[in-house]
Amino acid sequence: MDTGSVVDTLKVRDAKDVEEVVRAAIANEQPLEIIGHGSKRGIGHAMATNAVLDLSALNAVTSYEPNELIITLQAGAPLADVLALIDTKNQQFAFEPVNTAPLLGTPALGTIGGMIAAGLAGPRRIRAGGARDHLLGAHAVSGFGDSFKTGGKVVKNVTGYDLCKLLAGSWGTLSVMTEVTLKVMPKPEAERTLLLRGLDDAAANKAMTAALGSPFDVSGAAHLPKSAFRAKTDGLGDLAGQDEALTVLRLEGITASAAHRANSLRELLAPFGTATLIEDAASAALWATIRDVLPFAASGALGAWPVWRIVCPPASGAALGSQLARETGGDVIYDWGGGLIWAALPPKGDAHAPAVRMRANAVGGHATLIQAAEDVRREVDVFHRQAPGIAALSERVRASFDPKAVLNRGRLSRGAVA
Amino acid sequence: MAIMMPASDQAVLARRAEIVAALRAFVPGEGVIDTPAEMRAYESDGLTAYRQPPMVVVLPDTTEQVSLILKYCAGQGIKVVPRGSGTSLSGGALPLEDGVLLGLGKFKRIREIDFDNRVVVTEPGVTNLAISQAVAHAGFYYAPDPSSQIACSIGGNVAENSGGVHCLKYGMTTNNVLGCEIVLMSGEILRIGGKGCENPGYDLMGVITGSEGLLGVITEITVRILQKPETARALMVGFAEVEAAGECVARIIGAGIIPGGMEMMDKPAIHAAEAFVHAGYPLDVEALLIIELDGPKIEVDELITRVETIARGCGSVTLQISNSEAERNLFWAGRKAAFPAVGRISPDYLCMDGTIPRGALPKALARIRELGEKYQLGCANVFHAGDGNLHPLILYDANKPGEIERAEAFGADILRACVEFGGVLTGEHGVGIEKRDLMPDMFSEIDLNQQQRLKCAFDSQGLLNPGKVFPTLHRCAELGRMHVHAGKLAFPDLPRF
Repeated sequence: MDTGSVVDTLKVRDAKDVEEVVRAAIANEQPLEIIGHGSKRGIGHAMATNAVLDLSALNAVTSYEPNELIITLQAGAPLADVLALIDTKNQQFAFEPVNTAPLLGTPALGTIGGMIAAGLAGPRRIRAGGARDHLLGAHAVSGFGDSFKTGGKVVKNVTGYDLCKLLAGSWGTLSVMTEVTLKVMPKPEAERTLLLRGLDDAAANKAMTAALGSPFDVSGAAHLPKSAFRAKTDGLGDLAGQDEALTVLRLEGITASAAHRANSLRELLAPFGTATLIEDAASAALWATIRDVLPFAASGALGAWPVWRIVCPPASGAALGSQLARETGGDVIYDWGGGLIWAALPPKGDAHAPAVRMRANAVGGHATLIQAAEDVRREVDVFHRQAPGIAALSERVRASFDPKAVLNRGRLSRGAVA
Repeated sequence: MAIMMPASDQAVLARRAEIVAALRAFVPGEGVIDTPAEMRAYESDGLTAYRQPPMVVVLPDTTEQVSLILKYCAGQGIKVVPRGSGTSLSGGALPLEDGVLLGLGKFKRIREIDFDNRVVVTEPGVTNLAISQAVAHAGFYYAPDPSSQIACSIGGNVAENSGGVHCLKYGMTTNNVLGCEIVLMSGEILRIGGKGCENPGYDLMGVITGSEGLLGVITEITVRILQKPETARALMVGFAEVEAAGECVARIIGAGIIPGGMEMMDKPAIHAAEAFVHAGYPLDVEALLIIELDGPKIEVDELITRVETIARGCGSVTLQISNSEAERNLFWAGRKAAFPAVGRISPDYLCMDGTIPRGALPKALARIRELGEKYQLGCANVFHAGDGNLHPLILYDANKPGEIERAEAFGADILRACVEFGGVLTGEHGVGIEKRDLMPDMFSEIDLNQQQRLKCAFDSQGLLNPGKVFPTLHRCAELGRMHVHAGKLAFPDLPRF
């Protein structure tokens, strides 16, 4: 954003206001930046606008029906408040939304709208799906300035195209969501995490593959190489002090079952070493650390390093991550059984983009530059460039919602839209 | 036929011989079918009340052939209707008189099984069950299990976003597919996603899933596979009142238990099923719940006890727990045979498919009873109770004048009631032609226009499966037109900073 000019922030109160602002934006050919709390503003490219549509006052809980496993919220509802609310009924968003605040060095957890628009899911992604799997319905204002709805308030619904899937992860470039209905799920009664120590990346990848291919319903599979402990990290407690790589596998459910499966899995993984066990609160703290990528937090030793988020076929993770770390002198953390790699790489003008993208492409993966200084983001594609046919289709899809590109213009690609 | 399809293009029909010849150049030999007798097998899908022979049937067996066919049809302005196994219950594969029926039945190969990444890469004509069978030796399966799984193709499952008994716990098709190869109407071949958990950019896979063959023709699919649960046990619980059964479902979910399956049948459905399969169903109850728990044995045994306690607390009048696979299968036998069982007691039936919030069940069943009296037709209800997906089976006799019209009006009123109670028109069968004209009961014109604009991004001429899903067709140019709203900021009282 050009901070030299006056920024006009429009704080909307209802969907009607959003329609008016978007219509005015169309008429004035004035693109809008869409924000909630602005917690993820640092992700993506600088936008070609000095008008901000602020959804933070659209913050009501429309309805919460624990027995129906759904909650309907206005897009500006603070995520922290919503998580606290559903926690009173012992429920959660099963996809474990990532709190990007520590990574980006921002204060707020953000809003529900931002959570969906970014679509960043945590460790349970491998079992419970992502934000896209939990968004059941939405009301939104398109770039035509019209409110529309899609989906519904029930889990099972195939009525019309599933536009919710497009809205999730669209970074506000298709429509301005005003109200969403999300699936909530019961929190597991117990959690157990097995810890294997001292494995190299390749062995850890094999151990995670064995665990995820077992019938023991593993809900988290991550690997922290030894180097990930060089930055002092909250949430790891005394686990960090031992200076050994840590491979961790989570089992959740009713107490008897989680304990039983932990034992069975320990036996299965015996060839990889003797696993130790942590329970409930200690386990939850560890997984929150992995979910929020705390070893790479802005306040930590690697805070100045650019951070990549690489998604790839899970069994390819270790080869990709370890080669990248060796080549750049960077650090990596593996989640999703190897299918998600967080990479903090030493500062460089291009954030090592060619190496990252070449290696990701080689295995059919893709990489997003989640955290980097603005001058780096001017030089590098933050989001993965797609094959020409897919890119052209995606642009037609975008234009079908927002033909004048008034919504978050330029956020997803450098110079794609003037 | 009560439903209007797009007007046939007489110019296309006049060129039929030329079109057949052109298709033969792309797909040699028996891959092009143009005799009335041979085309009869394709004139309807699972919604057999509607029939229409296509102009010609083409059965390609390579992606390149699909691409050539579509490119040719796009260039000539010829409509195309894709078809998998033809088990759709909503008429999604109903042919058009002036359209090419593009069958994917020859795409029968599983291309890759990758246990390390827990995915199967398959051609679209492979049946749902065949995928599970191909990975069963390693303890894996493909989770979505529509009741037609012996016959239905995985390509059709993606097109319809098929569900099944176990989708409460394991999700629908959309939650279990990772990528695809798709051919657009222009003939362009695109690859979306792959073996990773997430795809870059907009979630095109997500919107293609459930698009009912209107966005593209899928020629390859990557699905995720899961390890089979160690064991499964079921409870069969009878209630004297539907309300008590509904309460039991709510309390099970409220207790944080997500069963593998949770099915309900009402009295007419119980009687029909019992007469057919003799599963030992109680005949004097108003509602029967079958609740299946799956997972490790220790977990299943514990949850069976918890569910039993909840069911008794809700006033169950009969309660049985399976102690063997044979017993569990017997509990399910009646439910699984419910449709043919109803077929035995009535010359014809219509299977409806709406979803309601779970809590609205008693009110929905009461409404269905009232409507049955109004239309003077019987109705048996089976219900995926866990996720609110209702399947009323409306009984009628097609040979009695006026009955099918009454049955259809009855069904439409049930679906309108689903929307009124906060639900939706279709939970898993799709809109197709069956619910097409009810779409305005759920969506405004603006909502539907946005959906049709998306269609334009994939198929700008509207040639792929037209007449399905949307009651009114618009030209893309018309949909893309922007209203020019008054300029300047029109909100002086809006807080600004």
